[in-house]
Amino acid sequence: MWSYVSGVISLGLIYVIATVGLAVFTGFTGLFSLGHAAFFAIGAYTAAILTYFYGVNFYVALAMGGAAGGIVGLLIGYPTLKAKLRTDYFAIATLGFGEAIRVLLENLNITQGARGLPGIHTDTTLPVLLVVTSLVIWCAWNLIHSRHGRACIAIREDFVAAEMMGVNIFIGRLRSLVFSAFCAGLAGGLFAHYFGFIQPSMFTSYMSTQMTAAVVAGGMGSISGPVIATLIFIGIPEALRVANIWRLVAYGLLLVLIMIFRPQGLMGYRELSADMVKGWYRRIWKGGRA
Amino acid sequence: MNTKLSAMIPLAVALCAAIGCDKKSDTIKIGQAVALTGDNSTWGQSEKNALDMEIAKINAKGGVMGKQIQLISYDTRADATEGVNVTKRLVSDGVCAIIGPGQSGVAIAMTSVTEPANVSFLATSATNPKVTVDDKTGQVRKTAFRTCFIDPFQGTVAAQFAAKNLKLKNAAVIYDVGSDYSSFLGKYFTDEFTKQGGKVVASEAFRSGELDFRAILGKIKGTNPDVLWIPTMQKEAALIMKQAADLGIKAIPMGGDGWASPDLITLGGAAVNGSYFVNITSLEDPDIQGFIKDYKAKYNNDPVMPNPVMAIDALAVIIDAITKTGGTDPAKLTAQIAQTKNLPTLSGNFTIDPSNHNPLNKPAVIQQVKDGKFIYATKFVTQ
Amino acid sequence: MFVQTLLTGLAIGGIYALMAVGYSLVFSILNFSNFAYGSIIMLGSYIAYFSMVKLGLPIGVAILFSILGAAVLCYLNERLAYSPLRKRRASSLFFMISAMGTAIFLENLVYAIVGAHFYAFPAVFTKSNITYHGVSIGVLDVFAIAFSFAAIYALHFFLQKSRTGIAIRAASYDIQVCGLNGVNDKHLIGLVFLLAGGLAGISGTFLGMKYIVYPTMGWITNKAYIAAVIGGLGSLPGAVVGGILLGVTETFVSAYVSSVVRDVFSFSLLVLLLMVMPTGLFGRFLEEKV
Repeated sequence: MWSYVSGVISLGLIYVIATVGLAVFTGFTGLFSLGHAAFFAIGAYTAAILTYFYGVNFYVALAMGGAAGGIVGLLIGYPTLKAKLRTDYFAIATLGFGEAIRVLLENLNITQGARGLPGIHTDTTLPVLLVVTSLVIWCAWNLIHSRHGRACIAIREDFVAAEMMGVNIFIGRLRSLVFSAFCAGLAGGLFAHYFGFIQPSMFTSYMSTQMTAAVVAGGMGSISGPVIATLIFIGIPEALRVANIWRLVAYGLLLVLIMIFRPQGLMGYRELSADMVKGWYRRIWKGGRA
Repeated sequence: MNTKLSAMIPLAVALCAAIGCDKKSDTIKIGQAVALTGDNSTWGQSEKNALDMEIAKINAKGGVMGKQIQLISYDTRADATEGVNVTKRLVSDGVCAIIGPGQSGVAIAMTSVTEPANVSFLATSATNPKVTVDDKTGQVRKTAFRTCFIDPFQGTVAAQFAAKNLKLKNAAVIYDVGSDYSSFLGKYFTDEFTKQGGKVVASEAFRSGELDFRAILGKIKGTNPDVLWIPTMQKEAALIMKQAADLGIKAIPMGGDGWASPDLITLGGAAVNGSYFVNITSLEDPDIQGFIKDYKAKYNNDPVMPNPVMAIDALAVIIDAITKTGGTDPAKLTAQIAQTKNLPTLSGNFTIDPSNHNPLNKPAVIQQVKDGKFIYATKFVTQ
Repeated sequence: MFVQTLLTGLAIGGIYALMAVGYSLVFSILNFSNFAYGSIIMLGSYIAYFSMVKLGLPIGVAILFSILGAAVLCYLNERLAYSPLRKRRASSLFFMISAMGTAIFLENLVYAIVGAHFYAFPAVFTKSNITYHGVSIGVLDVFAIAFSFAAIYALHFFLQKSRTGIAIRAASYDIQVCGLNGVNDKHLIGLVFLLAGGLAGISGTFLGMKYIVYPTMGWITNKAYIAAVIGGLGSLPGAVVGGILLGVTETFVSAYVSSVVRDVFSFSLLVLLLMVMPTGLFGRFLEEKV
């Protein structure tokens, strides 16, 4: 029983790492991405190829996976952000990028195409995940609370004003993109070493959708919000054993309803904090306002 | 807000209880990892129906060694990641063995759970040789078995049929680059067809999910093939044949067991008439007529071949192993299943080859699509 | 092979053109990409299919039902998912998320309710193709191209000659000034969505007849976005030209290079165009340049 539950938690944490990166990108910098599963795939394949074919140490391979994601993010981000594509066309461009990565993975010899890479060492355990997740959240939190993070928020709110105030929009967006691509790549490497087998067809737009839905539902402007939302999205269907198709219907509806009724999502612009928990405690047990 | 929050707490407790609840009952639990939704659901649904029907029959007669069999099925959606989740759930549910899956990609992924847990699975229609034999080490996986034939055999059969029986000289291959099944089946056919003296004049790839093949078909038309080898699933095959007819291509289409669904005819219309495909077993097979009659009586529909028959074979193998070991210890069953010899099953005499966990002497059937029906053409036997 | 490839390209180009016109119509008025357009096309296809198969209606009536049905659905989509956001003057990111959510919701709702079954339209034409000197084109394709052009011309006539048409064209320049001049912008937007929905119905039906009907067929609208950019954002004739050009070039890439890289080519073309020539061939809209 515990092995099953720990499996669910592990999977949840892997997605949390990727979603935290996306939270910085979509939530804090305001850019929509439809192809983040591609960075995930790049990280997964890089780390897997390194350990599978070259016997590289697991942690080094993970770091390289993340780095690969980041570098590709830089390569993709440079032309598309420099061209100042409008939000919707940027999203379409990321979609195209996702497709391009899939084609690459299916056709390169080193990735063994559609056959995928079976027999990867399953080095990702719960303790490893807990450590990495905490590190990533800590990094993201620090990024957001630095001047870089404030620049991102400014870009999201009003990029014209931000440019007027001297914020370099291009660098700010690129930085967010590279960070989120790094996180996704890291998560991908962990994913590959958790399942022990990867194939190009595992990295679908469904994955990108789930991450985006978690960021929106959790609250664009919060780190803890998307973390909680991801854990809920992974955990509840497993617990209730809901048919997967209805899960996606729920995501879609959730996105629309959140946009209309509660655009700030679960956490809004705030983070989960001791005060918040105290406030809930007071409301539930004392029956009054905090 | 207060009432809502306080209502959520008992709900959370109930959820935890539901997760933690693990009923220990006196039944034999057999797991099934099957694609109940998604593209492969026609086979998966048939497979589950057949198992339900067969298990009800066995339970009515008293079960196995006095215990009732309980089938625990989870939907894999033919997705490798979901397959792994499903397998973990089944292992934690305490199943003694798993029937399924029907897809090679899912099966290979599942081995990462079944090998350490020492719970065996019998794949029903996963035809990739790498399911049972580890690609890197060349060793057979101790918990992976299958009840169907493998793709190298399928490709060989088709190529020999095209070259020797139909006497066709030039072949064009269209395959799905995103599917390991399709890419490899294309390769196996090409190898054997060339060995038989034929010539492969074109080999074109498309991406999974592609709908418009006219561009590559136009290219193929120029090479004038006699046979079009389409080692894909039924949806792509139907579209390719329809569009080939649109372009006036006269080659005879041929395919593998991925075609064996009634969808092929509904989607392809008149264009699929006269094509051939390889299957593991067919509705006209005299050995299984009794089963087909029972299935039709209960579910009002023909079973979609070959998964139901493969699943019932798998069930027979598991039950045989249970009776031989006298218990349901998954590790002991795993060892016993590898020893299965000459077991009479629905599709014939079943023996597992211990060196690669594949069934020995499994026949392949060639079916032809004619006038909206699949008809039986001929039978080949494994060497 | 050249002529055959050209004909195949024109056939698919006609469908891209139709989708691009519908998409451009909405884009030119509201300046946002309706990501849910693909799912409306998909629903139009299902409506036509079920009219023909379950109700046994002839193809003409089925197309009519599909046009009406898709128009209504597109209108409802606007009313429910977009107008609350417009009232709040939400940022474009919110519109995109809402559109994305609607697309995911509708697509998976169909998956869950109708099932993942693929449906093929019953054969309408007795002869499947017309062959001349070794070059073939499907009869359905000829019919589809003819019908699409008739529809586009009808739209063009409506936009040029009728009062409402003039109002729509005025709104595509500046909707607020239009409002000042006495045009009811709510009604206008509703009408535009009705028209776009009608076009979606036609494209959906022909797409379904050409291939098969299944829940994720809406993703082909990504090509419509690319076609609209090629032709120039905001220009309807541009959308037609863009659609045909895209169809033809894609097919040539498929035939002469490889079918596998076709989508990568299209998306790369998109990014390249947006970087080098953002106005496309006939367009009026420029990037949000700071």
